[in-house]
Formats: sequence, structure tokens, C-alpha cells
Amino acid sequence: MISSPEVVDVQRRNNVRVSGNLAGRPMVFANGFGCSQEVWRAVVPHFEDDYMVIRFDHVGSGGSDLAAYNSAKYESLNGYAADLLDILSAEDLKDVVYVGHSVSSMIGVVAAGRDSSRFGELVLVGPSPRYVNDGDYVGGFEQADIDGLLDSLAANYLGWSSTMAPVIVGNPDRPELGNELTSSFCRVDPQIASEFARATFLSDNRRDLKNIGIPTLVVQCSEDLIAPFAVGQFVHEHIVGSEFVLLATTGHCPNLSGPDELAQAIRAYLE
Amino acid sequence: MKEDAATPVDPIEDSYETLYEQAPCGFLSMTPSGTILKVNRTLLDWTGYERDEVVGKSLSGFLDKGSQLFYETRYIPVLRLEREVREVVMTIRRADGSLLPILVNSVLVSPDPLGPEVIRTAVFDSTARRDYELELLHSRQAAQASEARVRVLQDAANEFAECNSEAEVAAALVERARAAFAATETAMFFLGDGGSLDLVAGYSPIVDLVPLDSLRPAPESIRRGQFIGLSSLEEAMDFSPEVADALLATRLEAMTVTPLIDGAGPIGVLTCFYGRARRFDDDFRQLQVALAVQAAQVLGRLRLQSELQHAALHDQLTGLANRALLQERMDEAIAVANRADRPLSVLFLDLDGFKAVNDYLGHAIGDSVLREVASRLRSEVRAGDVVGRFGGDEFIVLCPDTDEADAVGVAERIRASVGRPFDAVLPQFPVTVSIGIAVHGGGSRTTDAMFTAADEAMYRSKNAGKDCVTVALG
Repeated sequence: MISSPEVVDVQRRNNVRVSGNLAGRPMVFANGFGCSQEVWRAVVPHFEDDYMVIRFDHVGSGGSDLAAYNSAKYESLNGYAADLLDILSAEDLKDVVYVGHSVSSMIGVVAAGRDSSRFGELVLVGPSPRYVNDGDYVGGFEQADIDGLLDSLAANYLGWSSTMAPVIVGNPDRPELGNELTSSFCRVDPQIASEFARATFLSDNRRDLKNIGIPTLVVQCSEDLIAPFAVGQFVHEHIVGSEFVLLATTGHCPNLSGPDELAQAIRAYLE
Repeated sequence: MKEDAATPVDPIEDSYETLYEQAPCGFLSMTPSGTILKVNRTLLDWTGYERDEVVGKSLSGFLDKGSQLFYETRYIPVLRLEREVREVVMTIRRADGSLLPILVNSVLVSPDPLGPEVIRTAVFDSTARRDYELELLHSRQAAQASEARVRVLQDAANEFAECNSEAEVAAALVERARAAFAATETAMFFLGDGGSLDLVAGYSPIVDLVPLDSLRPAPESIRRGQFIGLSSLEEAMDFSPEVADALLATRLEAMTVTPLIDGAGPIGVLTCFYGRARRFDDDFRQLQVALAVQAAQVLGRLRLQSELQHAALHDQLTGLANRALLQERMDEAIAVANRADRPLSVLFLDLDGFKAVNDYLGHAIGDSVLREVASRLRSEVRAGDVVGRFGGDEFIVLCPDTDEADAVGVAERIRASVGRPFDAVLPQFPVTVSIGIAVHGGGSRTTDAMFTAADEAMYRSKNAGKDCVTVALG
């Protein structure tokens, strides 16, 4: 069953942080697979003067409540989308600008497809509705590649060397980096990471694109191997009335590699 | 880097340049977004690329796909946020297409405080370790997976053993299955006598959406006596378009059905629903089937127990409550009558003319008369009344919430009903019934006292010429 906001402390569960202009229009930032809300730290200052900025962590990552994780609920993106709707409703947000990066762009699409009442605009950064190739559809990956990622995750988190986990997650030789810092924003539970990877990279959300009836901006990076240009175009073509913008910044994480350019593109779209 | 070979670094290394280019590990310098600025000879030799094929490109493009996903989603974000990552395992695709497993340490630094940031990376060839370690990893994963499966079965066995009813077993099964298979929803259905499947635990999002006359997975699984897995909407479509539509409508993409089979055949099904396409490999099937077998065994035991319990409290010939159960029900009824201050009546019945039937027509006919009397009694009383066989041709009817006047009404109905001819009995052997009624209150406060009073009243009916009703004096 989908948890209901009445009985769940959504704010604690998803480590919801509110900043910026509390009287402004709400703007929700959601990060992709692999990290936490910290990835937005160079982006949000561009909006905090005039927007109420809401950030959160998906259950299982960052500062979320790990005890709230449940493999059955988070088996697909539906569980994450339900959490997002919980957050919008718990904070009573209306006319939300939702900025989702990577898998969170699809989480936003699924959530808006289920209940669009609180969404004003969607900004999808590096979206891919399906990573695995399927017939004529080119997602960029084969099933074997996803297995390779799961191996890679396993090797990096769970592998032979138990010292590996603290290396990636914390840093035993550099205590000044501090557990507080690392344990909060790049903390990962290996099991959850591999389940989230499956939900992310083995989902097929192409059908959900046609349900979107709200203004949408698709943000595409140059040379993004995770969500290639053709995939961004596919999303743009299948969301009726959406706009498309190509950033000069390269790679899959413009929130880190080109935060200023990303912020300007979003601003230009909103204004 | 400037050529400065004229100035030896120290007596051993003749220049930093040589040290950099020919170090026993690869060196890479990249922009913060991963574009390669500088690479050493060692790494070029290891990978088979020329310098100009590499510089200006993104490192990500030289990785295998699994590493690319890890690089973009984890390595880059962590490096940018924490400025350092160490001993990351990745795989480079060499110029000739072969794979080079590497270990990577990276730091994000600002060589010039005012200039751009740079990622400095040291690359180690981990071929020798990698195969061994991957093998170790896979065997550890296999061991963990099999340990997890054993744990699922052990935990389920422990939980099932604590269950006292079929509904409890069903509830435990759907919860265990939900956790073990990470299923969005799970449901358990019992197979009814008429072939119906009745939900006992959990929830099936599609059960009301699939028309009864279409091919449905659960009945089909019962028919085949086998696990059915629909791993994607395409497979569901191949199975039946109605099932695919129902899954689509409920945001589900895959489902499995496993029949629960005990010695006598199928007794129900476990259905699981998944929010995305899944792979149901042999391990998955075997675990689901094993869980179903465990539940079926416990359900079989509970059914046997309840049959034994029923047998201990019921008359074998007529199926009516026996003396022990009558006693128990009477005690309960008296307690309720006392507490709520409600009336309670008990009817004591003794057949007239039954001995002659038995003696002249035989026990088989006698038994059929007793069964027919039992069935007539059942049809003359309310659902809350209890009909029992006290012994021989004596019966008792407990009527809670019934005062004397109503009890006489019931008794007269029974008398008329039993007095009707029996198909198997010739008219020269008439069977009727003498009835005594005791009403709770007055002198009759206990079960024994009530039975005795009703029995005595019944004898007064016998003495008054049989086939009549007498009420015990209060």
C-alpha cells in the first residue's frame, strides 16, 4: 500500500529542506540516482531570491530515513512518485516548478501523471524514459550493460575489499572531510543502491510521457552518454507542447558541471 | 609541462617528465566535467590509443557501458562534492576493443587558485586482481542469494508454525512474499468448492478488471498445476490482452501466480504483482514454489486439525452437535442469558415409534430416519439455535433469546414436521416426537438442571399419549 502523509513524517522520511523566499513560487529540486540533494548546491542560489526552494532526498539516499526503505514499495518508480506527491501535499505546495534530474525527471512525470494538481511546470534535466534499447527505440544500453553497472556497483560497494565502502562513502585517511559531511550527502546503502539502480535503469516509462498535460521543458546536455541526444528528443516529441533546450555543458550532471548555464536555461524558460 | 631535462631531479630519476610519462601507473588530467587534458605514456601504452585520440575527449567515452553508468551517476558527483575518490573500480575499452580493468584514485584541485579546477587521476592496471575478484564477488553474491532464499523459507516456516487459522497463514504468506520478491502487491486466493477463487489475504489490483470469461492467470495456474510468470506487458499480452490491459490500467507490468497444492490437489494460489518488467529465473521460481509448498503444508495440517476437532464435537451419523458440544453451547447460552437478562429455552425431544422402525425395518432404515429428523430439525430452527443429538433417538434444541410462548411455537412446528411421513418408512410404522420444554430462570439455572427439567417434561408428554409438547414447571 502507498503510505499516506497523515501517518508518515514526510519531512523526516525524505529529509525535506526548504530555503529561499518563503513567499515565492515553490520550486522543487529532485536529484538522480547516485547521490543526494547536495548536487543542487550550485544551482539553487540562482533561485533563492525569488522562489521558495524545496530539496529532498529519495528514501535510501542522502539524509533520508533508511528505516522507511521497503524493497516492495521502491521496486519501481511508482513508490518514489508516491513519495513526491506526499511531499507536495505535506508542504501544501501549489503551482510547483518541478526540476528533476536524471531518474527524478521520470519520477516527476509519473507523479504528475497520477495527480497533476500541484504541478505548474516540469523541468526535466537529462531525462530518459527507458535506458534499455527496445526494437526501434534506442535507449543507449543493453540489458547486459545494466548487469555491468550492477557488477560495477557491487565491486565498488560490496566487493572484495571491505575497506572499499569507507573509501567511497567516507574517507578514513582524511577525517577532516568528516563523517558528517560524507555520511549525509553521499551516503549509500549498497543493497538499496543496487535496488534503486534496477528501478532506475530497468524501468520503461515511455507510456507515461503522453499523460503530461502541463508545460514542460526538456534540458539536454551535450555528450550525455546516459541520456543521449536522441533520447532527449524522444521525450520532447512525446510530451505534447514541451520545449527543448540543449546545454553546452557536457556529461550527465549539468547541475555540477554547468550550474550557471542550467539555471539560466531554466530561468529563461520560466520568464 | 616544460622540457627541463638539463636539471636532474635527483640522482635516480633524471627528470620529472620521464617520471610522469613512464611512471608504473597511468596519469590523467581532466576538466571537472571529465574532458581529458593530459595523459601519460604508460596509460597510452596500456590502452593502445594515440595521444591525439584521447586528449580533448571525455574519459567516459573510453569506459565500458557499466562503468559509464557508474562514472556519470556516482564517480563524477562524489568527486565534485567531496573533491576526492579513491580505489574506484572501472573498466576501460582499449583501442583494439579488449577490456582493461582499472582501479582509479582521483582528486579535484585548483593548481592555480585563480585558474580552473582540474581532476588529477592515477590509474592502476588491476587485470590480475580483477578476474579473481570478480569471481570472488560473483561467488559471494551467489552465496548471499542462496542464504537469503534459505532465510526466507526459514522465517516463513517459523511464522507459519505460529499460525492458528487458515486466514493467518494466508496473511503471513502474502507478507512474506511481498518482502521476498519485492512485489508491489500480493494476494492469496482459496479454491472454493465450485471452482471459485476467493480472496483471503492481500490485494489483487486486477481481479475485478479481467472479465471472468477471458483467460485468467490464477485459474490457469490451478488448471496447469504450475507456476505462471508474465515478466512484462508483452508477455501478458501474449497470455491474454485482457490481463495486459488490466495491468496497464493499474500501473503494473509483470505478475506471477503459484498454485498451492496439498496431497489432494490445488487448494489456492499466491499471486504477486510487480511495478516494472522483471526476470523470473529458476531461483525465483523455485523460491516462490517452495514458499507455496510450505504454506500448503501448514494449511493442510490446519484443515486436518479442524476436521478432527469437528469430528470430536459432532455426531457422526447426523452431523449434529454431540452431547459434549451441547453441554458447551448450553453453558455459554446460560452465561449470556444471565448477563443480558434474556430468556433461554431448551427443547428435549424423544422420537415415538422409532424402536419399532429399528427392530422391524432394520438399522439402515433407522439411521435414515435419524438423518431425516436431523435435517427437518435444522430447517425448523433459527440460525442462532443449536440442534444436537443427545443419544439414541433423543435430540435437543437450544433456543437463545426465546421465552416460553415462542418455545412452544417452535416445538409445535417441530412436532408437525417430524410427524410427516418418512419416504423410507411404511405407514404402519408411524414416527412422531414427544417434546419437553424447560425455560431458563426459576428453578432451572444450570445446564444439568435445564436438561433434567426438559427431560422430565418430555416424559410427561410420553405419559400423556406421546406426540405432544409439555412445558416444565418453573
